[in-house]
This record gives sequence, structure tokens and C-alpha cells, in this order.
Amino acid sequence: MRFFVNARYLIVPVSSLVTITGILLGGIYAWLGVALFGVYTVIDTVTKDIRFRAEKDANGNSYGVKVFQYLVMYIMLPVFILLQLVLAWRLYQYTSGVPIGTANISIFSYQLGISGLHLIGATLSTALWAGLGIIYGHELSHNKKEGFFVSRLIMALSGASHFTYAHVYNHHLDLGHEDDPATAPRGRNVYWHTWLSHVGQSKFSYDLEREKLNNQGKSTLSFKNKWILGYLYSLPSVFLFVWAGGLLGVAALIAVWAISNFLLEALNFMGHYGLIRQEGHPVEHRHSWDNDNVFTSWFFIEIGRQGDHHVRGETYFWELDDVGAPNYGIGYFSLFVLTLVPFLFRKFVKRLLEDWDENHATDEERLVADKFKSIGIES
Amino acid sequence: MFGLFNKTKEHTAYINDESSPVTLKVEKGKTLLNAALSSGLDWPHRCKVGSCGSCKTQLLAGKIKPQIDFSYVLNRNEIADGYVLACQSELCSDVRVKVNLDNIKKRNKL
Ligand code: FES
Repeated sequence: MRFFVNARYLIVPVSSLVTITGILLGGIYAWLGVALFGVYTVIDTVTKDIRFRAEKDANGNSYGVKVFQYLVMYIMLPVFILLQLVLAWRLYQYTSGVPIGTANISIFSYQLGISGLHLIGATLSTALWAGLGIIYGHELSHNKKEGFFVSRLIMALSGASHFTYAHVYNHHLDLGHEDDPATAPRGRNVYWHTWLSHVGQSKFSYDLEREKLNNQGKSTLSFKNKWILGYLYSLPSVFLFVWAGGLLGVAALIAVWAISNFLLEALNFMGHYGLIRQEGHPVEHRHSWDNDNVFTSWFFIEIGRQGDHHVRGETYFWELDDVGAPNYGIGYFSLFVLTLVPFLFRKFVKRLLEDWDENHATDEERLVADKFKSIGIES
Repeated sequence: MFGLFNKTKEHTAYINDESSPVTLKVEKGKTLLNAALSSGLDWPHRCKVGSCGSCKTQLLAGKIKPQIDFSYVLNRNEIADGYVLACQSELCSDVRVKVNLDNIKKRNKL
């Protein structure tokens, strides 16, 4: 049981390595990362009704092995760096006109040079898997100093190092309230939310640093400013892509960052869409949506158990459980596809929000929901 | 240097009243807040991730290991006065702390 409980969270690490191998092999294999996303969307959809609780031994202790899970999370930092390096290598080949041909390393052959089409595949594959950095960046943001720092570095690979501070000091405190940019109010679509949430969290992180440094009598413009430092951590990626591909490299990096941040914000969007909390009142299970079908749980290292996570923020992901929070009933992959079509998503979520208003909301929260309805926003 | 070989598995937190404090055993790796809550103490808290400040306590003696930077939540004066966040503090020694436990309820005998 211990092996099973720990090994099941290796889907993303293994898939990231497969994606890297695909880009290294070149040709059609550069699309492997995209293809995996497609396959996983199907698996997630057909397994939507299978759920597991957090397994415990006879003494009530989790089977999760902290040292192992932390090791995996820390190792994901070099894996994500490697992902960018292999894309940069392919960009370099493309821009320097390396002819397409076959090369061998020992008994293994790979394609030298890359076509424009397959370079797009490599870029999309990189972007999608770089976006998964959020699941480790998120988990580590709640943990001890070195974990927090690794979280910052993982997020910096997507130009989003501010997330680590904003998530802990803003999202966990202000969840479900308009002061939290990461909570999407009813009526907002995922595209608009991506911008508002990203900029809002970055601004929060900047203000947090400014206030702290002012309190300490220090200048905001300094290397002690973690907001500035966070963006500096992203500079190696910028240099790498500019060196590898010039303007095309910049375009590729923008694509990687845009898509990976879109995935990050889509998770925030799905986690709390339309839920309402009165300011100053405690965060409770009802203020988050759970997505806890089997594939979502294992792939996203239980990030979908939002209800439990937001009440027991200090709890390791492998210990999170079903706490009866509102539940979408489908996994993140399927739900993500729905969010891409705002009209469909709002139709899907309408019934769930009606149920939330009726059975979960307090009178005060219901009043806020009624205000949305009075201006024509039902879901 | 001998601290390196210190195998102490738990420390004691002496809470409030100097002559007859509430005592709390805090296992290695556990935060002061979690130890208090699992012992039945009604220690004030809200977020448990170090962002709200409601679990703050004044460290009067002893050493703690902060899990995060307290200066985002506690102001300069509070830090100078020894305030720490219990949800982000592990103990490095026995400690004496002061906290507002107005509604102290001891569900178990400590
Ligand atoms: S409980 Fe919120 S800072 Fe400790």
C-alpha cells in the first residue's frame, strides 16, 4: 500500500520526462507532450466517477512518505529547467538552419534539425508541461524555507514567482472575497480571469514587499524586495531563449509563459468560481470546489482537494481528504475543456451554484449571490 | 556544536502564568499551534499558513525555528517584542510564551 500511495503521484514527473524525450527525438515526437494532454483528458473524463479517500494505516497515519515526496518535488525543478533547455536547443537548431537529418547516439537515433511545424509542437508541449509547475510551486509554497524558495524558482520558470507570496498571504486569507484576485466572481470567463488574477496577484506581492520594507525603514527598490528578486529569477530563461532563437526565441518564451500562466489561473478559476465568503469570516469547506476523481487527484497531486486544503493549509497533499466540500463531479481535465467555452461552463456551473446558494451559503453570502442575480448574472 | 547531536524528540512550552503555567509537549517537526490544538487548547488561529496573524504569541524565553518570514504579518514593534506566529514555529528548546487564551478550554489534561 505504501508503494502504491507514493508511486501514484509520479504521473507528471514521468510524463514530463517523456515530453522532454519527445523533443529530443524530434520530428513528430516533439508533439508527444500535447498528445499526452489529449490522452489524459480522455482518461480523466472516463474515470470521473471513481474516487478514493486518503488511505491511512491502522494507527491513522498516512502512507505518504514525506522524504520521497519532497525529493520528487525538488527534482522537478531541474526537470522543468531541462524542459526549457531542450526547447531552446531545438530553437537554436531551427534559427541556425541545421538541416533535417538523422543522427545517432549509440544505438539511439534522433532527428537533427527541426521543421517549423514540429517546432510549434515542441513549444506547445513545453508550455503545457511547464504549466504543471504550479502543482509543485503550490505545494511547496506552504512549506519550510527551502521548499518555499524552490517554489519561487519553479514559478519563476513561468515568469510567475510572485505567485508564491500572493498565494499564501493573499489567496489563503481573502479567498471568496473581492480582495482575492485569484477568486473568480460569477460572470467572469477564464480568459479575463487569467489577466486580472495574474496582474492582481503580482500587484499584491509588490504592495506586500513595499509595506514590509517601509516598515523596516528600507527602500522598495532593493535586492531585498522579493517581488523584484522573483522577476530577476526569471531572467535566465529570457537570456536562454534570446540566445537560442533571437526574436523567435522571445516569441516562443512568450507562448510558453502565456500558456503555463493560463493553466495556473485556470486552476484558480476552477477552484473557487462564483463562491462567496463574507469578509472577516473564517474560510470553510464550502468556499472551495473539490475536483477529486481518481485521475485528477493523482495527476494534480491532490490540488483538487481544495476544501480540505483551505481549512488545513499546513497539511501535506497526500493527507488531504474528502471533507464534503462542494464538488464539480468531474475532473480538472474535463472541466478545463468546459472553461475554454465560457457559455458552456456557465451553463454547467449554474445548477451547482444554485445548489450552493440554497444548501451551503449563509444568509449574508446568499444576499451577495442575490445581488449578482439582480444584475442578470445567474452563474 | 553538540546541538548537532541533540536527539531531543520534543520540547515543552510553558504558556502564560509564570507560577503555574499550562504546559504543552511539542514534538519535533510539529508547530506550536498544532501541538496546542491537538492537546485541546483553544489557541486562536484562522489560516494556519502564516498569513492572518491571529495565532501570534509572545516568546518570553527559549528559541523557536520560524517556518516563514514573520515580517509580512507582524510589524517591527511586535517582532522587537518577541512576537512569533505559533502556526509557523517549531521549537528548538523549551520555551515560555504568552498568548491570549481567553476561551481556554482544556479538553484533555495536559
Ligand atoms: S493562524 Fe493565521 S498566521 Fe497563524
